[in-house]
Amino acid sequence: MNAGGSKNNGRTGIAGAVGRVVDGWAVAGGLVLFLVVGVNVLSVIGNILWKPFPGDFELTEMGVAIAAFSFLPFCQLHGTNVTADIFTSRASPRWISAFGSLASFVALLFAGLLLWRMFEGMLSQREYGYTTAILQLPIWVAYVPILVSLALLLSAAVVTLAEGTTKSEPVQSQ
Amino acid sequence: MMDPILIGLTGLALLLALIVIRMPIALAMIVVGGGGVMMLNGPALVLSQLKTLAYGQFSFHGLSVVPMFILMGALSARTGLSTALFRAANAWLGWLRGGTAMAAIAACAGFGSVCGSSLATASTMGRIALPELRRYHYSGALATGSLAAGGVLGILIPPSVVLIIYAVIVEANIVSMFLAAMVPGLLAVILFILTIAAYVLIVPSAGPRGSATERREFIEATLGILPVVVIFGLVLGGIYAGYYNPTPAASVGVFLVLVYGLVRRQISLGVLAAVIKETAGSTGMIYLILFGAELMKIFLSRAGLPQATAAFVIDSGMQPMLVMILLLVALIALGCLLDSLSMILLIVPFFWPVLVEANGGLYQGSEGSGFGMSTEDLKIWFGILALIVVELGLITPPVGLNVFVISALAKDVPMIETFKGVAPFFGAELLRVGVILLFPALTLWLPHLLSG
Repeated sequence: MNAGGSKNNGRTGIAGAVGRVVDGWAVAGGLVLFLVVGVNVLSVIGNILWKPFPGDFELTEMGVAIAAFSFLPFCQLHGTNVTADIFTSRASPRWISAFGSLASFVALLFAGLLLWRMFEGMLSQREYGYTTAILQLPIWVAYVPILVSLALLLSAAVVTLAEGTTKSEPVQSQ
Repeated sequence: MMDPILIGLTGLALLLALIVIRMPIALAMIVVGGGGVMMLNGPALVLSQLKTLAYGQFSFHGLSVVPMFILMGALSARTGLSTALFRAANAWLGWLRGGTAMAAIAACAGFGSVCGSSLATASTMGRIALPELRRYHYSGALATGSLAAGGVLGILIPPSVVLIIYAVIVEANIVSMFLAAMVPGLLAVILFILTIAAYVLIVPSAGPRGSATERREFIEATLGILPVVVIFGLVLGGIYAGYYNPTPAASVGVFLVLVYGLVRRQISLGVLAAVIKETAGSTGMIYLILFGAELMKIFLSRAGLPQATAAFVIDSGMQPMLVMILLLVALIALGCLLDSLSMILLIVPFFWPVLVEANGGLYQGSEGSGFGMSTEDLKIWFGILALIVVELGLITPPVGLNVFVISALAKDVPMIETFKGVAPFFGAELLRVGVILLFPALTLWLPHLLSG
């Protein structure tokens, strides 16, 4: 098993640009997570002093979903997705590179498939006018940044596929 | 048409094969799970489910506490909380033979109370405690071994990410699970400290005495852990007392750690970006695994595999306790292949129905049950046991991620030394599993006490 991660060092040109966009997008997603934290803290304080923040539950659901999707391209690009390296630790670099390419290819297919299906999903959410229970926020709106995340996941998979290997070094993430 | 069970077993074999050739575990589960349902029910169903399945899962409120606690752990590691914990623990224990290593264990436990991940605990405390241990000339094996072992405390002392996810899959109450984990967690701290005491009794040169702390430093260092006590108290105390749900509680935790970091002037924009990136790496990985596991779950239950497994085990007529021990051994063995989260997600849907049947059914009370406890209690007890054994994979060869993390920090200690150093702690862990198996009350009395 290996939970790895590395900086965008060494990526230049288009790959470097994709890397910067993906990193920036993940940081933006992290800020959304901080906003969710803020909503919940306000709700706790409001609950004690006055009344709870309306719709904190559904804002949390939406915000966390948007944030979590925004992290997927980051994971793909930095190879933080857990793999079991132990069985192939003595395989030749050529094989390891082939395994990495296969993984990138699968990620690419997955991103493409989910992008297509969730685009359809957004259309149906919009068509049926689904909204959240209290604030009446249209759910399809949350799909927009998520589709951007999936498009970035697709681009990140193209980059890792082109690089031919998934780099990974141990870091502290679980 | 192939037999569904056969399709299910083929799917599992394919999953293992993909994992062995380095496919990220989440993607392997997505491919096999999605492909399997397509084979069983045709592509139309999967394609239509994919429209909303991922959003439904990523937005599930019960899981929203996971990124919060990851964020809290990532912030805690960079705000000096971890240093304060080690300093205080060392003031209390440092003068003992092997005391600095004991202090590292205590500090890991303290850090585990604000962080939900073993690896994060091991790497954070490793960075702080390792230089101190080397300064007092601790042997490489003891120094790195105790830190790698101390890391596993992160998972059992609440808040714990894997614990939350276990609670979500078996629909257990998170508060009861957190309460249940307290005593087994403290038991681990005590056993680990005793392990160090025994170690330095046998090999005195491995852990020399540190110097006694002067009174002023002692008081200052002890006061330094007040913020941790306050944060832990407000976050988990508030959950236990029923003031708020886990997600608002975790948000309060993130907020308090952020304020602490700002007051201590440890937070800059660069630090925040690093915190977010660490959170992104862990959260994205976990959510992708959750998604893959969901597809696998749909696939396997449509193939009827969990039901068939449960029927098979029950028909074999094994004693409930033997079933439990076999399941735990299987989890330890699988720890060589899978990370703890994937294991909980993939295996619990298999094992849980088996245990329910062995106990006498979902609504079984404690009277006349296979394990002598109600199925609700079994849920909690098995959760704690499973959590301990899946984490053993972090300190055992061949993979031992905690050992890798600590080895990467201690470049002068060969990895084999770390594995040797961690071996006595592995023994202590097996002892702990045995004690918790024999005395379920250790786990269950606190949730019972507080639920009235």
